[in-house]
Amino acid sequence: MPLARTYSVALIGVTGHVVEIEADIANGLPAVIVVGLPDTALREARDRIRAAITNSREEWPQRKITVGLSPASLPKRGSWFDLAIAIGILAAAGKVPRAAAARVMFFGELGLDGRLRPVRGVLPAVARAAEEGFGKVMVAEQNAAEAALVPGVRVIAVNSLTRAADWLRGLSGPDGQPAAVEYQGGQDLPGPAGRHGCDGKLASGGGAQAAGPGTAMAPDLAELLGQSMARRAAEVCAAGGHHLSLLGPPGAGKTMLAERIPTILPRLDRAAAFEVTAVHSVAGTLPAQVPLLEDPPFLAPHHTATKAAIVGGGSGVIRPGSASLAHRGVLFLDEAPEFARDVLDALRQPLEAGEVVVARSGITTRFPARFTLVLAANPCPCARVAGPSEGCSCSPATRRRYLGRISGPLLDRVDVKIELEPVSRKELLSDRTFSESSLTVARRVAQARERAAHRLQGTPWRLNGEVPGSALRRTWPPAPGSLAVLERSLDRGLITARGVVKIVRVAWTLADLAGRPRPTRDDCDAALGLWLGVRR
Amino acid sequence: MSSGPSPREHLSEEKLARAALTYLAEPCDPALGALLAICSPAEVLAAIKADMLPGTGPGCGDTPASRAALDRALGRWRARLPTLPHEERLADTSRDGIRLSCPGDTDWPGALDQLGQDRPYALWLRGHTDLRFACSRSVSMVGSRAATSYGAHVAGEVAADLGERGWTVVSGGAYGIDAAAHRGALAAEAVTIAVLACGVDYPYPAGHADLFAAIAGQGLVISEWPPGRRPARTRFLVRNRVIAALGCGTVIVEAGERSGALNTARHAATLGKPLMAVPGPVTSAQSAGCHRIIRDWSASCVTRAADIIELLSPLSVPDALAPGGSLDALAPGGGLGRPSRPDRDASQTASRDDLDPDSARVLDALPARGGAGTSTIAVEAGVDLDTVLRCLGRLAGNGFIERCDRGWRLRRT
Repeated sequence: MPLARTYSVALIGVTGHVVEIEADIANGLPAVIVVGLPDTALREARDRIRAAITNSREEWPQRKITVGLSPASLPKRGSWFDLAIAIGILAAAGKVPRAAAARVMFFGELGLDGRLRPVRGVLPAVARAAEEGFGKVMVAEQNAAEAALVPGVRVIAVNSLTRAADWLRGLSGPDGQPAAVEYQGGQDLPGPAGRHGCDGKLASGGGAQAAGPGTAMAPDLAELLGQSMARRAAEVCAAGGHHLSLLGPPGAGKTMLAERIPTILPRLDRAAAFEVTAVHSVAGTLPAQVPLLEDPPFLAPHHTATKAAIVGGGSGVIRPGSASLAHRGVLFLDEAPEFARDVLDALRQPLEAGEVVVARSGITTRFPARFTLVLAANPCPCARVAGPSEGCSCSPATRRRYLGRISGPLLDRVDVKIELEPVSRKELLSDRTFSESSLTVARRVAQARERAAHRLQGTPWRLNGEVPGSALRRTWPPAPGSLAVLERSLDRGLITARGVVKIVRVAWTLADLAGRPRPTRDDCDAALGLWLGVRR
Repeated sequence: MSSGPSPREHLSEEKLARAALTYLAEPCDPALGALLAICSPAEVLAAIKADMLPGTGPGCGDTPASRAALDRALGRWRARLPTLPHEERLADTSRDGIRLSCPGDTDWPGALDQLGQDRPYALWLRGHTDLRFACSRSVSMVGSRAATSYGAHVAGEVAADLGERGWTVVSGGAYGIDAAAHRGALAAEAVTIAVLACGVDYPYPAGHADLFAAIAGQGLVISEWPPGRRPARTRFLVRNRVIAALGCGTVIVEAGERSGALNTARHAATLGKPLMAVPGPVTSAQSAGCHRIIRDWSASCVTRAADIIELLSPLSVPDALAPGGSLDALAPGGGLGRPSRPDRDASQTASRDDLDPDSARVLDALPARGGAGTSTIAVEAGVDLDTVLRCLGRLAGNGFIERCDRGWRLRRT
């Protein structure tokens, strides 16, 4: 019976679905028909595959070939299935053993000359294969490192269709070398020997630091001299996952501060690193020699970015946007009022739900998007408020309108707002005693996060910034009597009732940073000080 | 007192008789009031059952006219005898968490005795709070059912503020001002009393069933009418005298020209209790009644809880010692969520002398003119960054300092 089966995975967002590929060769006029909801790129596959098979000096069956992809209801896109279809056709023609072909998952795009090219999204696809009980996956050599991250999977890395077919036939390559290089997922790591970083990182579970804090060239929080409040705010945001808003004239250090937040964030744990790497794999933004992203990502999209670029989208293949690429990291919107209003408002849903949902006709794609939002803004559009001498000529109405572009509901989700002022010489001198290196702060942040995670055990939240106000009031009130000054500020109209919730939330993080079991009066007052650090 | 888990509290004969009388006679029945003034409730009940009036006494049936009135009353009361529950059931006070309070009981509020012969025969209570204690510092707050958002806002704010300072809010449980007053007190986790014109288990208006449950949980729902009795138009007017009597003073928040709230105000005036009204726009029909009682009945014009407390406290001293009072009571413009009124007084809520040493040092470190950055202040005061941040928060919260272009500066007072 000239029918063969192979398997691959179709990705919807970062979720994989196993696809069965059937190739049937029947009598009739020579033709190739692909059925099962393929898109244009996939329909083009038949020409690519035909060329690839012929150029690999394999025989192209001159009969009627039907390729079926099932489940048929699942949209399948791109060049992702080339290798699986080609092997299926060869197996149906009896050129490679059918049994061997049906036991391996294939991921790869074929060139016309038969070379195997890398594809995006290998990590989530291989993870899915492992879950479904497939012990072996065949990928292009460039994808091998990524695929080998998944434990319990045997990764077969080949560079051409010929090698792939040879491996299935159990033959060695033309030069006597084995047809394919094999790796055991989760243990071996492919890559040129002696390449530091990668091997060490995986073997020791993330021990060695490739280019993190501590390296001479890396940015450090201590460089932000003269902005002690802002440094403290950054520490609080890193520890509690609070969203941050920075307001200040150009040159005050907003961007500098935002860029240094990743240096005080703890490295991602194994599960989080997998989530982050999966998103970046699908987006195709994974650095070539670093298969697993263990540093929290930092994304700073330009203010001309479209909604699709920020939250994800696209007409054919739905790609993750900056919000998802910043998952478990920092999304920094510099010059926030310059962003289009609908772009900013599109962030409200991911901020609320921790994931992006892109709905298209026939398919709904989800990407994780649990990031720390950092907004930076100039107080006015002319951006000239450098000192008392120059001054800007914007009217108060203009300034208000400018900042009003950031919608209230978005700002409502921001727990920490800080105003940076230009640093005076006196402040610079005074601050030298207080500046701490990123390493010192990062250590405190890691301990605070542990404490919060311990307290939040059994809840859907892991960080203080994620806890909603109602739960905070009900389950975790501060120590009795510690809200006295807050109440008085409320009476005097300095803060609103909503502000109190945010201040208490920040007070919890301050208590975590200080190692206290619950916020005391001191923590609440310090949180109030941070909150009042903005003129209004 | 509490009807909690105790098996069954058997009522004394007199209490039993009073419970029965609430079933047989409408409150404020002049004939029964006169009778109770000279006979015990048990005697009156026995006489009604026997269809025979107790012997003559002073002021009781000694003229033919009053004799005839008494006869008619006897007919009225006897007509309701078949509706009287069995004695067993009357005595079972633990059912549904409803209990009875009678004159002479430890939880009977003495203020009701001012009503003389119109005093309630007994009160049915739902809730566990001590009625007498709750009424020792209480304000009756009533107003229009068709309240404006202004009226509802003021009623809620003032009630919450009163509640925070340990005062009980008494009202009628109706829509509009009454509900806003109850809700304000509930929000402040204070005791509030709803006086109903129907049985305490009969939720009227029906939309307030949840509100009454909340009031019973935190305060009291009370009524002169026995459980199960339905409301009637005239009963509300009769009920109003109890609202007026239970409060140390009565506040009318919004009332139209013909509002029932004015009836309560009249009762309060008759009883000699302080009468207060919250003013509204002169163009608002909903405030016309308030303005009239200010002009014609010399009601005091009040605008906030502090005004009311000042009027009701014997020494005219804001009750700084009251539970929940503390410094807040001295602060003008106190109250949750109130829009800011950054007046000069507000900055004086805490004195420099009350500051802890660190905060005092930080305050001294601020320059007399212009502002200073956080680190500069820390160095000047000789404290670390954590301390300076906490002290700055405390000082700003208390109104000593504020944010400026260059960091922090002293707030001009």
